[in-house]
Amino acid sequence: MEIKTYFRYIIILASGFLMLASCKKNSVGLDYINKPVVEAFLVPGQPLSVKVYTQKDLADTAVYGAALTGLNLSVSDGSKSVQLTESASGVYTNADLAFITSGKSYTLQFTYDNVVVSASTTMPGKPVGFKLTDSVFYVPVTIDPAYATKVLATATWTNPDSLNYVLLFKNTDSDPFNIITVRSNNKPSFQVNTEGAAIYNMTQSSFNYYGHYQVILLRVNDEYINLLKSNSRGSSQNLTNPPTNVNNGLGIFTAMQSDTLALRVTLKQ
Amino acid sequence: MQFRCKENVPLMKKFSLLLLISIAAYHQAQSQQTQQKLKKITIDHFFSCQLDLLFDTLAMDHHLRIVFDRQPLHEMDVVEHFFEEPLKDVLAKVCNENGLKYWIESSGTIYILKNTDDLARLKQMNQLNLKSKDAIKAKKEIAAPLELPKHFLISLNGRVIDQLTGESLPSASVRIKNSELSTTTNSEGYFTLLRVPSDTSVVEVVYTGYQTDQFRLNSGNINSTLICGLYSSLNTLNEVTINGKKSGVMNTDSRQVGVLQLSPANLDKLPSIGDKDILRAFQLMPGVSGTNESSSGAYVRGGTPDQNLVLLDGFTIYQVDHLYGFFSAFNASAVKDVQLYKGGFTSKYGGRLSSVTEINGKEGNKNETNIGTDLSLLSASMNLETPLSPKSTLLLAIRRSYQGPLYDKIFKQFTASTTTQAGGGTGGRGLGGRGGFGGGFANQVTPSSYFYDANAKYTYTISQKDKVSWSLYTGTDKTDNSRDLGLPPGLSGSGAGIAITDYTKYGNLGSSIKWFRQWNKKLYSNNYITYSSYFNDRNRGSSGGSALDSNGIAHSINNTTLETNNLKDETFKSEWEWQADNKYKLLFGGFASHKKIDYEYTQGDTTQLINQHNNASLGGVYAELSIDPNSKFHIQPGIRTTYYGPTGRPYFEPRLSASYNLTDRLTVKGATGQFYQFENQVIREDILAGNRNFWVLSNNNNIPVGSSRHYITGLSYENDNFLVSLEGYYKTLSGLTQYTVRQTQTGGGGGFGGFGQNQTLTVTEDFYQGVGRAEGLELLVQKKLGRYTGWVSYTLAKAENKFSAFGNDYYAADQDVRHEFKSINMYHYQRWNFAATFLFSTGHPYTAPLASYTIKTADGNPTTYLTISDKNGERLPAYQRLDMSVSYDLLKIDGHKVGSIGLSLFNVYNHTNIWYREYQIQNNQVITTNVNYLGFTPNITLSLKWK
Repeated sequence: MEIKTYFRYIIILASGFLMLASCKKNSVGLDYINKPVVEAFLVPGQPLSVKVYTQKDLADTAVYGAALTGLNLSVSDGSKSVQLTESASGVYTNADLAFITSGKSYTLQFTYDNVVVSASTTMPGKPVGFKLTDSVFYVPVTIDPAYATKVLATATWTNPDSLNYVLLFKNTDSDPFNIITVRSNNKPSFQVNTEGAAIYNMTQSSFNYYGHYQVILLRVNDEYINLLKSNSRGSSQNLTNPPTNVNNGLGIFTAMQSDTLALRVTLKQ
Repeated sequence: MQFRCKENVPLMKKFSLLLLISIAAYHQAQSQQTQQKLKKITIDHFFSCQLDLLFDTLAMDHHLRIVFDRQPLHEMDVVEHFFEEPLKDVLAKVCNENGLKYWIESSGTIYILKNTDDLARLKQMNQLNLKSKDAIKAKKEIAAPLELPKHFLISLNGRVIDQLTGESLPSASVRIKNSELSTTTNSEGYFTLLRVPSDTSVVEVVYTGYQTDQFRLNSGNINSTLICGLYSSLNTLNEVTINGKKSGVMNTDSRQVGVLQLSPANLDKLPSIGDKDILRAFQLMPGVSGTNESSSGAYVRGGTPDQNLVLLDGFTIYQVDHLYGFFSAFNASAVKDVQLYKGGFTSKYGGRLSSVTEINGKEGNKNETNIGTDLSLLSASMNLETPLSPKSTLLLAIRRSYQGPLYDKIFKQFTASTTTQAGGGTGGRGLGGRGGFGGGFANQVTPSSYFYDANAKYTYTISQKDKVSWSLYTGTDKTDNSRDLGLPPGLSGSGAGIAITDYTKYGNLGSSIKWFRQWNKKLYSNNYITYSSYFNDRNRGSSGGSALDSNGIAHSINNTTLETNNLKDETFKSEWEWQADNKYKLLFGGFASHKKIDYEYTQGDTTQLINQHNNASLGGVYAELSIDPNSKFHIQPGIRTTYYGPTGRPYFEPRLSASYNLTDRLTVKGATGQFYQFENQVIREDILAGNRNFWVLSNNNNIPVGSSRHYITGLSYENDNFLVSLEGYYKTLSGLTQYTVRQTQTGGGGGFGGFGQNQTLTVTEDFYQGVGRAEGLELLVQKKLGRYTGWVSYTLAKAENKFSAFGNDYYAADQDVRHEFKSINMYHYQRWNFAATFLFSTGHPYTAPLASYTIKTADGNPTTYLTISDKNGERLPAYQRLDMSVSYDLLKIDGHKVGSIGLSLFNVYNHTNIWYREYQIQNNQVITTNVNYLGFTPNITLSLKWK
């Protein structure tokens, strides 16, 4: 019968397509999970310290993964290469303060699991012209939304080329007082990406805690900004791999320079 | 047996005269005549007899053809004295008293039915009777021509309408019997046939859900616009409501590629979650994904809903769903007809990459006022159709949800906690950033949320040739998940409460004025002025009275994030149709529009973070030639050109579709074309924390103009009972956009805080650009007639994207589904309709975290990062769902359906289908939460029409 013949053709055709479209197995896993995590911030005047550790299992409640010990780490500034020593487990250091200076590029290299892990960064210039309007910031008694955008104080610096700066507010009190309890999930110290600006405006709700602050202006590289920008909140609909500048690894190896001012945050009397 | 006759003699004479004339008249007139007879003939008669004798008497005395089962009726008695009662009332009365229904066929024959399913048998019986009585008459349903043909090769122009309501019927098939001439009606119900052999030819008009009408032309009726009024068929004639358009002998339907048509009238036979849903019904067909419960929008052939153009009476609808996507924004009672073009569509449409859904609104009843209502556990709707004057009609339809159990269930699905996979307990799911407050507090949720929509259409017929209609649609969803948090005393010391605001309002307002004109028999035009707007406002945040600080000083707080997206679209378009001759039809037109999109993202007590205002003007022309060199071959080349202001250059879109009838049952077809899209709906990454989606315009730098190419080929076989269709497609896409807003992290806190209210939040926008490709094969086997109808469909498909932001390889797109199997089964018994639909599909791809690590940045705060699998490298478990429904038709005494009562069971065996997974970090541990789709959900529906 006519219809049967057509059916047969269709079934043959359909099953042919089925076979063609058999799924390709994704080879995700192992590589990624085995990548070591590097954490290093190169600041002139501070000893070079690189932390290397493994990633954690999702259910692991430890802050850091297991330290990777016994590695041979070397950092080169292009002309000179230093071998780091393991000062604590998974922490590799070099005490030579003169090694980290302005204007140089640094390359980290080590072998892990028979794979060469490397990362490079360039020391940016030192911030210039960093000023605060006042060394004291007064928090108003009432946080009134009507004055949400009112500028109470500013931090300014020289930045004609719209370079990357991060402003770090470091609360130095041992037990800082909350300004508003319900914001308690914020930490006393925080940082702000100034996105190429030369000014930062402080408003009535800029601070969560009273106390003494070090206001540190950091001139940073792209890799640091990328790390800050990465969206770590997530559902399966939007996860992305966090950015890294470490080849065959994760984390960050970056250089930065800073300028520091003091600020006291107190209630307006 | 005794009865007295006292009849209305003059009327009788008049009608016998009419009867004589009507022999020459055509079918529908006969039905009309029977209707009129029923109204006009009055009975003054005492009956005391068996029912069959009563009908015999009536038939004989009034020259009616009444068909019934003699045996059962013979056992029924009637004792009744009728005083000057119209025949219609007499029929209704005796039928009602004996549990019978009557039904008037378009031939004028009256059938007396015990059960509606008896009709088919009685019809057969009638045919046999006629044959035995008069062999010649039975053979020829249509009377022979009264006179010899006078005119030859005439041009014929007509309009197909519903005889009862006067509503025009688009896409009806019209053909000249015993010739190769055929056509389909346009959106206004008009058709043109040229070179019709003679003025005695027989015209046949076919439209799903209506009785086929045949009539003979005569020298009188060919000169003006021929009005063909069709009568609806008895509901029991089991025609499938959705069909891959029927292939008549030679209508364009079989020749179009990937077109699905739906008439909403019979939607109540399919299971539904809430209301009758026109867009969701398409999801039961191959090529339209059926597993996206959270979107009424169409995922057509690997495309996304924003690549589907949705037109209602000529204006674009930008938001097609209600209540988180569970319900279509269109009220089925205001819709006449819907067509979905799955790809390779005509050059009349443009501006979208994937598909077109064209919805024609009802005009309203031209003959009498009718009121209807639809009730379900989710919403109530009312509709009114009325003639305002002999030339104008009005339709109004209003629908509003109420916070019944079903609404609450769906609402909670999106706002309440769900199952947790690993680790200990988790807090709230963090809708709108609730996570920060978590389960510890006593949340007092008092949401007040609703949606409503309203349709209005006013149609004014200026003359035979001109018609103006104004159509309005407005719909709004208001979702308020605001609540008060009673802070435990001791935390703040004051016990003061905090109000969480979480308020979303979105919707559409669209309107069009359409002027239809028939310039002459060959030329028609539609001119539109349309306006469409879309808005989406989201306001979330917290405010509180006095919270004490650690110095004992009270502060009031107010943290609000406001997001608004506004789109305005003003368009003028002109569409023309010129039937050059039977082989050539030219479609052409032009359009100009101005679009304006605003997007603002403001944080209440800081500053405006994103502030975008974009304008675009675009305009263009299109032309398409529809060629039918012979009755087997059809080819339709077209071109569309759009000049898009922001990029300052024209875009050319050549299109081509063709079909060839290998036999009269087997057709091969193909289509190809270039498509551009100038606006994108972007889905925010943090789908629950922000605006779910909003529209942006393409520009010259970061948002490219989308471009796609379609290659489609297909084969279809159709006989009276079955339709088998196989279509394959391949599409390439470029200029795809993915949008992400990233918060520049401050204040540490792990970054998962959600409601953290970092007072120094800054936001950066990124648009990722990418390319894509999609391919697939669709098989449909459909049984069209009988007690059991339905279809089985299988889709094998693949949709891949490549965004450099995610790597250099193609990865499975979010909407990619490899296998999709659908089985739709409908069984009809008397006035009962049973349906069961089963869906099975491969799970959607997703990205999973594999491991985590922590970095302590310069401020000393540790932040946890997730190492993830390849983009969309994992698959959710397969999706499966069985829905069932039963409905009971409510019939009037004359057999017309006035409504139905139905029970729908959604996801009968309560299968857990995962929508997506969410990851939260608590105590440095990653906790996975499954966010699921709806489980078992019953629903009751009631649909009623006054007339």
